[in-house]
Amino acid sequence: MLRITGGTIYDPANGINGEVRDLYVEDGKFVSSFTGGRTIDATGLVIFPGGVDVHTHVAGGSINFARAMTPEDHRRTQAFIRSQTRRSGLGGMAPTTFATGYLYAGMGFTTVNEAAVPVLSARHTHEEMADIPIVDKSCLVLMANNEIMLDLLEAGEYERAKHIVAWHVWAAKAYGVKAVNPGGVAAWKWGKDANQLSEPVEGYKNTTPGSIVTSLAKIIDELGLPHPIHLHCNNLGAPGNITTTLETMKHLEGHRAHMAHLQYHAYGGDDWDTMKSESAQLAEYFNAHPNMTTDAGAVLFGDTVTITADGPWQHLLYKLTGRKWGNLDVENETGCGIVPYSYRPSNLVNAVQWATGLELLLLIDDPWRVFLSTDHPNGACFWRYPEIVQLLMCADFRKECMAGLPPEIMNRITLPEINREYTLYEIATIMSAGPARALGLQQKGNLGIGKDADMVIYHSDKDIARMFGHPRYVIKRGEIVIEEGDIRETPDGSEYLVKPSFDPGTDEFLRPLFEDRYCMSFENYPVEMERIERPDLQQCITTE
Amino acid sequence: MGGKVTCTLGEVKNRADFIVYWGGNPAECHPRHFTKYTLMQKSPFLPRGRKDRTMVLVDIRETKSAKASNIFLQVRPGKDFELITLLRAMIKDQPISEAQVAETGLTIEQLQDFVSRMKAAKYGVFFFGMGLSMTRGKHMNSAALLTLAAEMNAFTKFVAMPMRGHGNVTGADVIMRWQTGYPFGISFNRGYPRYNPGEFSTVDVLVRGDTDCAFIIGADPGATMPQPAIDHLAKVPTIVLDPHVTHTSKLARVHITTAPAGISAPGTAYRMDEIPLPLRPALKSPYPSDEEVVRRIKEALLEKPDWMGERPQMLQNQI
Ligand SMILES: [Zn+2]
Repeated sequence: MLRITGGTIYDPANGINGEVRDLYVEDGKFVSSFTGGRTIDATGLVIFPGGVDVHTHVAGGSINFARAMTPEDHRRTQAFIRSQTRRSGLGGMAPTTFATGYLYAGMGFTTVNEAAVPVLSARHTHEEMADIPIVDKSCLVLMANNEIMLDLLEAGEYERAKHIVAWHVWAAKAYGVKAVNPGGVAAWKWGKDANQLSEPVEGYKNTTPGSIVTSLAKIIDELGLPHPIHLHCNNLGAPGNITTTLETMKHLEGHRAHMAHLQYHAYGGDDWDTMKSESAQLAEYFNAHPNMTTDAGAVLFGDTVTITADGPWQHLLYKLTGRKWGNLDVENETGCGIVPYSYRPSNLVNAVQWATGLELLLLIDDPWRVFLSTDHPNGACFWRYPEIVQLLMCADFRKECMAGLPPEIMNRITLPEINREYTLYEIATIMSAGPARALGLQQKGNLGIGKDADMVIYHSDKDIARMFGHPRYVIKRGEIVIEEGDIRETPDGSEYLVKPSFDPGTDEFLRPLFEDRYCMSFENYPVEMERIERPDLQQCITTE
Repeated sequence: MGGKVTCTLGEVKNRADFIVYWGGNPAECHPRHFTKYTLMQKSPFLPRGRKDRTMVLVDIRETKSAKASNIFLQVRPGKDFELITLLRAMIKDQPISEAQVAETGLTIEQLQDFVSRMKAAKYGVFFFGMGLSMTRGKHMNSAALLTLAAEMNAFTKFVAMPMRGHGNVTGADVIMRWQTGYPFGISFNRGYPRYNPGEFSTVDVLVRGDTDCAFIIGADPGATMPQPAIDHLAKVPTIVLDPHVTHTSKLARVHITTAPAGISAPGTAYRMDEIPLPLRPALKSPYPSDEEVVRRIKEALLEKPDWMGERPQMLQNQI
């Protein structure tokens, strides 16, 4: 039993905006009251629900591939030293699993969503997630380039495709569906890309990226997955891709959708020399269409490693930077690419990207629909989120940062004209309550009675980055896990799964197709429930 | 420049029409490779199977694998790096000299033919074995070949993949990487992972006599390591976990018989392309699994008083 008294509470899920209240925790959940138990005096401190990351890459084949490619970074980064009960680890651009848990918890995050899992290596992702301590986890299975599903859509067998999607969600023990560069990754396996939403995908007659997007969004709504289609649009990172992004959004009308890392999809211009931000145009459309949520995919200056299931984009980056390139194509499903990268303020393209991410966060007016993310590790490492919070809350600080950018940038961005400053209430929304709601995790991002007692207690501090980077306490399911920067406990988190219903004959339908294309026996493909440590099965929902 | 451009074996099976084995002898070392993945399989993209695929073998001698290949390129021993560098120049139409070509033991016609075939391929793959990665130049050779594969992507689809040894070597590699950031050759002496193959690799640590205890799981260094390393294993308390009594068991202080993984103990094995496969035991064993033994040893160690002393939780920068 734990009682937290006198704290100033920001709990957007319950409309509580900076009120002093007491919180009571019993058996890991909030309760209305009790007597006795330990008390934390939080007078003068600020309390948020624990942070929720809607889009990150922390476990599985791709990030582990990135770890293999960046030994130089491991050597210079921070090191967590083991104790008798706590495992050691390394931070940096692609932190090791144990360090990932410590670093997320260290800045008050208690739930993370791994955004890209190929079914073929889902077993690997789950084994890694079991080694990420403290935080609760979920993951999304990659579907938009699954050739078996594409063939069915091509043949007009929509119902069957729906069963296939549901089957894959359950086989991967995933929580939802991620669509990356629909049709484009499949084409990339032939060294091509899918750039036009209405042009057939390489190897198909009728199936276009646009038709894949619409069908998948509809399938996911009909299956009632708690989290909508999680979409990484085509043409990521390319100048002028605003057209593709808006076109994609039109294909989603009438469906729920989460648009991943919108920053990378909000550019105008014709080439790298003329590239500019189109965040204003994008935000205007987005504001008028409440069916969508998004995460920023913001960029911060500095070193990182980029990793996505978007092979074509990675090849482009490799050509641009001439740096190391890793690419992994996975049979029948997806691929992934990896390039170490430095974002520099002196580089015009990087400066536009930096501004675009912030502009989207500031121009999208509903904080319930835009969330804090850097598409870790692509735009910046997740442990740098407090710097973004500072940029959002202090217009003066933004101006200072802009003074360091090349002067030519000013007619390519709108950031200098934006004076909005986020309030603490809005920060709590984009960092916790909003992403929890978008994920459909009703236990999270909410300090109400009966909810999981995940919370973070901050010192009130004028230095915003310090305030959010160094919480006074982090509490996970009622247990103090971080206290003044020290790791106190490292409990294991749960893993959220869903089981959408599918025709029991799907196995027999898939078996021959599978054995034709994969070199793994069909029985070895689905991840067994016993392999998931601490599974927490969530219910599907009804959408209208 | 450089990096690693690779794929899963299913991609090879479905798409690869141009397959190069470099410094490996799959016919003898990975006998099922040809039939399961690279040569014999048919797919919607390669309906005629073997007929739709070209195989090239690059090696210093004509092994049994040469018989399976369409083209055999006999490179002079120790000249792999030079050959790869020439190929990297040739694909970009950069000038090369006759003397440089002669050094590799091949002719300019052979090289030109190879380059034009690489460029004409729809999906090319390099498999490289110990003959490339463990000979003169070692990881420089592998890095050069990975770079060639990456650079070929300016013309067509090309990937590269190492042919790894037997057992679950890949699995150990993968897990060490997610837990420590490094694949092997790791020291925890300072309480956090540090990496330096050649210094922290098992054989180096043993030869220098740096350990005062050895814990061997599923390996038999007593049969394969140099004598000074074996001598040190015999000197210190060595504990062996193995389904069989091995050479190492005989010089160890303690041998614990464990259930053989995959036969009577469950788990996960990682294939050479890092795809995880579940191990489903068919038989019951009277012996505990390796995992169970390690867990019980760890629990027993936790009963002991804290021997680690005061130390910080975290170092902001490693020293
Ligand atoms: Zn992502």
